[in-house]
Amino acid sequence: MRDIFLTFARWCDRITTLACAVALAVLVATVLAIVLLRFGFDMGFIKLQNLAGYAFAVLLILTLPYCLARGGHVRVDVLSERLPPSYLWRADLIALLAFLIPVFGLMVWAFLPDLRFSWAIREGAIETGGLGGVYLVKSMVAVSGLLMIVQGIAAVLRPPPPETAPPLAGSTQ
Amino acid sequence: MTLQEIFLILLGLGLAGGILSGIPAMLAIAGVPFVVALLGSLVGAFDPGFLKFFPARVYGIMSNPLLMAVPLFVLMGVLLEKSRVSERMLQVLGQMLGGSARGMAVSVLLFSAIIAASTGIVGATVVMLVLMSLPAMLQAGVPKPLASGLICAGGTLGQIIPPSIVLVLLGDQIGNTYLEAQQRAGNFAPDSVSVGDLFAGALLPGLMLVGLYALYAFAVLTIAAHGAPKVVRTASPPLGVILNSFAPPLLMILAVLGSILAGVATTTEAAGLGAVGALMLAGYHRGGRGRWLVGLGALAVLALLMLRMFTDGRAGPVGTGLAVAMVVLLVLGLVVSVIKLWGGGVLSAASDETLRITGMVFGIVVAASMLALVFRGFGGDVIVGHLMETMPGGDWGALFIVLGMVFLLGFLLEAIEIIYIVVPLLGPPILGGDISPVWFGVLLAMNLQTSFLTPPFGFALFYFRSVAPREITTRDTYVGVAPFVVLQLIGLAMLMTFPSLATWLPGVLF
Repeated sequence: MRDIFLTFARWCDRITTLACAVALAVLVATVLAIVLLRFGFDMGFIKLQNLAGYAFAVLLILTLPYCLARGGHVRVDVLSERLPPSYLWRADLIALLAFLIPVFGLMVWAFLPDLRFSWAIREGAIETGGLGGVYLVKSMVAVSGLLMIVQGIAAVLRPPPPETAPPLAGSTQ
Repeated sequence: MTLQEIFLILLGLGLAGGILSGIPAMLAIAGVPFVVALLGSLVGAFDPGFLKFFPARVYGIMSNPLLMAVPLFVLMGVLLEKSRVSERMLQVLGQMLGGSARGMAVSVLLFSAIIAASTGIVGATVVMLVLMSLPAMLQAGVPKPLASGLICAGGTLGQIIPPSIVLVLLGDQIGNTYLEAQQRAGNFAPDSVSVGDLFAGALLPGLMLVGLYALYAFAVLTIAAHGAPKVVRTASPPLGVILNSFAPPLLMILAVLGSILAGVATTTEAAGLGAVGALMLAGYHRGGRGRWLVGLGALAVLALLMLRMFTDGRAGPVGTGLAVAMVVLLVLGLVVSVIKLWGGGVLSAASDETLRITGMVFGIVVAASMLALVFRGFGGDVIVGHLMETMPGGDWGALFIVLGMVFLLGFLLEAIEIIYIVVPLLGPPILGGDISPVWFGVLLAMNLQTSFLTPPFGFALFYFRSVAPREITTRDTYVGVAPFVVLQLIGLAMLMTFPSLATWLPGVLF
């Protein structure tokens, strides 16, 4: 049962990774295109602006589960590093049940009415002449919430690695 | 004490406990307010309807165009780091100024300032400085504590010297809070605060900080130099090598920063150009066939920028022809470098790290929106406003409280978390007054510097410890870092006494 779930989580992560990488590539390419068109030819397209915005929105929300699946979210381990590893596992379990599942569950559940409406009218960009498909971008909020819950559960189920080195450059700090 | 106040205190204590428990900080920042809000709604102190706004606020963050610059700046920094462009710069710099202890210390500091402008990733900078410059500095006779302090403090320059991710986030928060606070105070047409304003404002204070560090290192080493054996100077590298390793990254930084400060490009556009520039720089440094194409492409970016600056988009047919040629060159160069980097595995490594850092940053941002929601639901904004009004000293009193609070939080939290907790919660009373928002923002940025260096949880110290050799004790590090924290506080005091340090440049430029 546990193995099935972990495999499922791994597949979810693969899809997330793909989506994030595509979003990042699209973001860089569209911003570049916008700059080139404006600087070189004094042109601008609302659709292109929208596309950059969509790529960023998808990137932002999906990097959350991406980061969680890799244990990349910052921890303040000034106290916990002196406690046995089993402490952290228990703390993570409590955090999962008390914080992660309720908060991200809320993010999905409370967004459903908005989402239903957005899908019903096939919501597009606010600007006239803008790109359609905002309802798809909005759906990512709910998708990301579900992915967070999946990866959070997987992190607690997963057997701990033998000895983890501190992530060297995994931070902006 | 009202019921609301009791719950707010509970929220504060719970937050501190949750963050210190060692669970991911974002879960504590989002989860604790959620649980406290549920408890509050049980006794009628909180309207649970408030919580329903959470996903809409998350979507608001996703559609905020200002934040778009963040992943692009991260990508730029990560690419420069992974491609070893910066490593080579440090090597050359060490050879140029190497030999004497003072020369070595100053060269490390100079390098930190350059790299700070280009990457702004504190963790990576500290690690690189330790690996590359610590042995050289110790060999040149720089005492262990000073060398440790220099590396940790130099590594944190990335967040005050623009372009910096912390300043983008600060600009976003201050801009919003300022607008709201001014409107509430009855000013319905306040001047908006942009990220560009903050970049321009932070430039001089950032350089001032570098100057303070240099003065200190120079003084300490001059006093220590009495009686120390003279080290033989190594031969300086040829000019070609120096130009080759320094000119490209420096040009890139100047182009990115210059186009923002000159008002030619938005922050996001400049960040995008920076990411593309870093991609080509990395491709160029890998060498091999087609290298000249990459070089040409990179030059085309600069040329296009120049064209825009001088013709302002009305170039006529000749200009359009030139632009077409440059775009073709640029795309060619970009394609070649992407192929090169893909083959070396650099691209996938850089993308992985960029996504991870982006997730980390926005994890905090998303979580903090829950905190702000619950804080307001309990009426915290009103209570804080009243509290600050009753403080002696008016605006200045409130300012001191906020800065003191940031300094104290810096012992436990990191810059991004502090920004998203402190600015929306404590900022409104200050930003509603006559204090310049740019000055306030730069003061905060300067103050946040200390959060990286103050034990027990200073990120710079943590990264330093993880790679520094055993013979440098934690004590050495703390002793070495302490004077730099003092220097930062001196810098902060100077900035408070002379606000024009921060407000002069934006005033001239915009």
